[in-house]
Amino acid sequence: MADHGESDEHNKESEGVGAAGKVPSIPSVVAPPVKPRSRKAPEIPVFERRNWLIHLHYVRKEFETCKVLIREQLSEAGGMCEYAVYVQGLIMRQEGKIQESLDLFQTCALLNSQNPENLKQVARSLFLLARHKAAIEIYQQAAKICDNDWEIFHNLGVCHMYLREFEKAKNYLKQALTIRRHEVSYVMLGKIYLLERDANAAIDIYRNAVEYSPENPDLLTTLGLLYMQVNQYQKAFENLGNAMTFDPSHTKAIMAACSMMQSHADFDVAITKYRIAAANTPESPPLWNNIGMCFFGKKKYVAAISCLKRANYLAPFDWKILNNLGLVHLTTGQFASAFHFLSAAINLKTDLAQLYMLLAIALSHLDDPDNASQSYEYAAKLDSKDPSIPLNYTVHLLNHGDRRKASGYLTQFEALVESLRASGREVDQELMDLAAVVGPTIHVGETTSKRLITSVTASLPDQTSVHAAATNAGVFSSTSGTTATSEVARNSRYAGTQSSAEEPDIMNDSPVTPGLMAKSEAIVPPIYGHDPVFAPTPQLEDDSPFGLTELSKPSPMCQPLASMGRTEALPGIRGQLPSPDQSVSAPPSHMSEDGDDIAEETEKEMKKADRASKLPLPDL
Amino acid sequence: YLHLYLSRHLEKANYNSRSYISSGSFYVMEGKNDKWLDAYHDPVASIYTFTQCLTLSDIQADGDWKLIVADLGTGSYDMKLKVYKNTTLMSEHTIIDLPTGVVTFYMDTLEPRTPAIAVASGPYIYVYKNLRPYFKFTLPPLNIHPLEEDLWNQAKDDQVNVYSMREMLENLRQEGCSLTVRSLRLLQLEAGHVEGFVNLHKNTPLKKQTVITCLDTMKKSVADEDAISCLVLGTESKSIYILDPEAFTVLATMDLPSVPVFISVNGMFDVDYRIVVSCRNGCVYTLKRGSKDVSKHMIELNSQPVGMQRINKNIYVGCMDETLHCFTSKGKKLWTVRLPASITTIEIIDYRPRSFAAVLVALSNQEVHIYKEKFLVDIIKMDDVVTGLQFGRFGREDGTLVMTTKRGGLFVKILKRTAKFEEKALSAGPPVSQNQKLNVPKKTKLFVDQTQRERENAVIMHRTFQRDLAQLRLKVMREYVKALDNSMNPISSDPMEPLKLSAHVQGIGPTFKFTVKLQNTSLSQASTNLVITFDYDSKLYDFRKKMIQVPMLVPGLTYNFETFVDCLNDKGVTENVKVYVLKQGKSVPLITGVVSMPVSESIVVV
Repeated sequence: MADHGESDEHNKESEGVGAAGKVPSIPSVVAPPVKPRSRKAPEIPVFERRNWLIHLHYVRKEFETCKVLIREQLSEAGGMCEYAVYVQGLIMRQEGKIQESLDLFQTCALLNSQNPENLKQVARSLFLLARHKAAIEIYQQAAKICDNDWEIFHNLGVCHMYLREFEKAKNYLKQALTIRRHEVSYVMLGKIYLLERDANAAIDIYRNAVEYSPENPDLLTTLGLLYMQVNQYQKAFENLGNAMTFDPSHTKAIMAACSMMQSHADFDVAITKYRIAAANTPESPPLWNNIGMCFFGKKKYVAAISCLKRANYLAPFDWKILNNLGLVHLTTGQFASAFHFLSAAINLKTDLAQLYMLLAIALSHLDDPDNASQSYEYAAKLDSKDPSIPLNYTVHLLNHGDRRKASGYLTQFEALVESLRASGREVDQELMDLAAVVGPTIHVGETTSKRLITSVTASLPDQTSVHAAATNAGVFSSTSGTTATSEVARNSRYAGTQSSAEEPDIMNDSPVTPGLMAKSEAIVPPIYGHDPVFAPTPQLEDDSPFGLTELSKPSPMCQPLASMGRTEALPGIRGQLPSPDQSVSAPPSHMSEDGDDIAEETEKEMKKADRASKLPLPDL
Repeated sequence: YLHLYLSRHLEKANYNSRSYISSGSFYVMEGKNDKWLDAYHDPVASIYTFTQCLTLSDIQADGDWKLIVADLGTGSYDMKLKVYKNTTLMSEHTIIDLPTGVVTFYMDTLEPRTPAIAVASGPYIYVYKNLRPYFKFTLPPLNIHPLEEDLWNQAKDDQVNVYSMREMLENLRQEGCSLTVRSLRLLQLEAGHVEGFVNLHKNTPLKKQTVITCLDTMKKSVADEDAISCLVLGTESKSIYILDPEAFTVLATMDLPSVPVFISVNGMFDVDYRIVVSCRNGCVYTLKRGSKDVSKHMIELNSQPVGMQRINKNIYVGCMDETLHCFTSKGKKLWTVRLPASITTIEIIDYRPRSFAAVLVALSNQEVHIYKEKFLVDIIKMDDVVTGLQFGRFGREDGTLVMTTKRGGLFVKILKRTAKFEEKALSAGPPVSQNQKLNVPKKTKLFVDQTQRERENAVIMHRTFQRDLAQLRLKVMREYVKALDNSMNPISSDPMEPLKLSAHVQGIGPTFKFTVKLQNTSLSQASTNLVITFDYDSKLYDFRKKMIQVPMLVPGLTYNFETFVDCLNDKGVTENVKVYVLKQGKSVPLITGVVSMPVSESIVVV
């Protein structure tokens, strides 16, 4: 004999609480009727008598036992045991049955409307069902019952955040923090500032958070990444280092810190640390990309290609990995492959000037000057700030005899350099050197045999152009590895991809971000390169030997024709760089080789082949 | 007659072999763990209990400490208070309701100094002395809402209609007043039973009871080991009571914002004391003598506590989110340790002879971890999930660890005297993975050769590729146009006859079942006058139905047409078969399907 009358009755009275949709009835459990035969009144057990046991099993996650106990207790209490229903709701939620849990918590709120816990849980379930407005309403009801509750304010803040009412959200979260300092509130508040693209405010928040709980590696890592974003690399490194002290296998911190080491050309340490990350996340595309770029930096091209190809296999639609693959292939002189990787990258990322520039370089080596010119022009149209594009284009034009146009682009390059210097940024030395080589060639023109000059310039600067471009992109890519998933709002245009490293990971858990991120990507295409701190990154120099080996070969040819400036320039560069053979033959002594033996052999093989073969000079 | 200390001799005498002593299953064996000796092992003791229902005490004042277990039985009946002397069950007492906690305490100054056992159960505390029931204390009843009391008084004198009484009680309930069980029960009854219920109960006095949720002891005025202690208990009504041990009166009452779950007391009632209570709202409160403000040193946790213990002034809390936290008494967090599995219970080791204090954490992965400060110093592996832990003196042995498990086992381990706990983390230094080589994919000589080839011939390769690509595209387009022209595709391009065809072959041969599925994809137009026929090599295959008449096809439905095909060749040769759908009066098929036939098994001659 189920007690239907009772549940109907509760349905009626429940309307008051049902701010958020339909209200369930109290579970109609059979209440055993009291037998009226004995005259002495039997003692009725307290409905809550097993709450403690239910609680003990609940906290141990023994949910099955819990459910049995709850069923028994509810049938004993005729469904009137608030705590039993409450725990049942919690278990339902743990099992992912959010709607059912909502119903149960609403029942609890019926049984005891004075308990703010019930309302909070109702709101929590609504929140999990993404009914944020309804959740806010209930939280506000709860706030009336108990004031100064951290949980209520925090959750109100989070709800408002998801409704994109950032001002309100910030107020609530700050209020929550005045009541009780909780890491989660800091994290949420920081997230809101990031959504508003206010990195400095976010940093302040995270600094407070770190002060409150100094040993939390997640907080430290996030703070480090934020510092990277605003170009305070020293502080960034400190925080990331701290994070790694407290958790030496914190993958996110490792990735960020190593990307910084990488941009300082500290490849061996970076690789050592990447090993830990590789053990934790062996299938992470950014990780393999970064390892690949480390090998690239160490001029182990076979290993670099292997790693990058693995990254590409794991994330076939990541244009950064494709870009890096294109770059490495450009460097090894495999222009046909480079072309494929770069065009694949362009298919995925259609609005990045530097990709078109790299493609143009590949094309000009593949003897397709028309398409190369077209590609250069498109690149120049997309990005009118990057001096390397006009310079490389100048070289390309010179190689094909279009002196007038070339000098036009050289002027453009100089103007860009000027404007960069005016705004207090340094320009890549490499580019300047190349410009110094190219400049005179344009003006020499008429007097000597045209054919010779062009061929010289052709071989010389175009080689360098690959290299200049390559190194630029190298900086970008080595860092972009970490950013693989990046593109977040950035304040400064030249913040560089390094700074945004991992940025989205901070946001990853918030479901609202994708929209925003996509937007920001559209607004600010990632710009890399002449970062004030890292512009002439050590990696550039490490790359140079390769460029130079190629350079040095045609140099006898160019010698007689070279103007004074040029002859001086070349040895100059040469002097400051170790010869490629030396750098190859001196592996780091303190560290075991990462490229395993076979790779090492192949690597040498490659080098040999490298030296033996001359790159085909563009036929003029 | 058997003592635990026997094991000590055996430890010395017989290290390597398992030595079973006597008829009991009390034996010493050398386990893998070099710090603990297995002293007792009974996986089928069928004990259902918690850490708070276990205690070790010298209840007979003979220097032989007993293990006292409040067993929850089946969870609804068969609840027992069990006392183990060494490993034999010495006495058993039935408890009427579920036991919440067990403590022993000295309630008088009589000699010999035998402590009493207090078992909390429901609203009562049962006190046993010398293993005999001695006293039953009932929690003072709670205040009843005056209106409710009034109503029942009126009911007693028949001054009120039971139905209007019920209505008024319901109103009270909705206003948020907490009512007595009797009133609540009344509200649940169907109309027909109300009167009888009221008549039955109206003459007994109305009272409102609560339930004890946790229990601990506190020395009254002297700190001696055997000094008189008060009982401190927490109730479902969110209060803490301190009871006088001699008169069993309530010495002090304190209110909490939530229901207490775990309790830990230090200090003396007459001097100064601190009661640390963790509550169901996920907070830990500290109550002090003379202070009413509980929220001052409140610790708010991120998840529910699974266990709370105290070593000196530090509070250790194990939480549901697989973390172990340590706080100062002021509520400042000192550290947090992440654990590999969820916690089932925690307990402290306070091993005086070595002045070693640590936290035992039982985990759901059948391990017990020992933390000295934040450092993991030892791991005990068990065969079952440990749910109850107690460390202390048992028998004549100082360092004994008693464990009960989820499946009801009872295990006793003895801490070796030679055991040394390194006071630093087992895992220090850089992670092991830092020394493992990166798994960089290998490349062969062929790769280098190909690289070389590309370097030399990049331009040619590129041009060839581009040319071939263009040619490929052209060819594809041509084929596509051709297919469209000849209706070679399985989906009709004719807007008048929108059809879709698919074909399947089933079987292993030599006879196959050939199924053609035909669907009219138009929305309203029926297809009529269709025929299915097959194009095949008649030397290789034989279709039993050479032609299938198709009935009118109703839009949207899929029709199956089947035929059997015999393969005439047993050489494993196959060929494609074409399926045509023809319309009467048209020379070109509407649609065509090409089916590649599977290799046929040869005929098995039986």
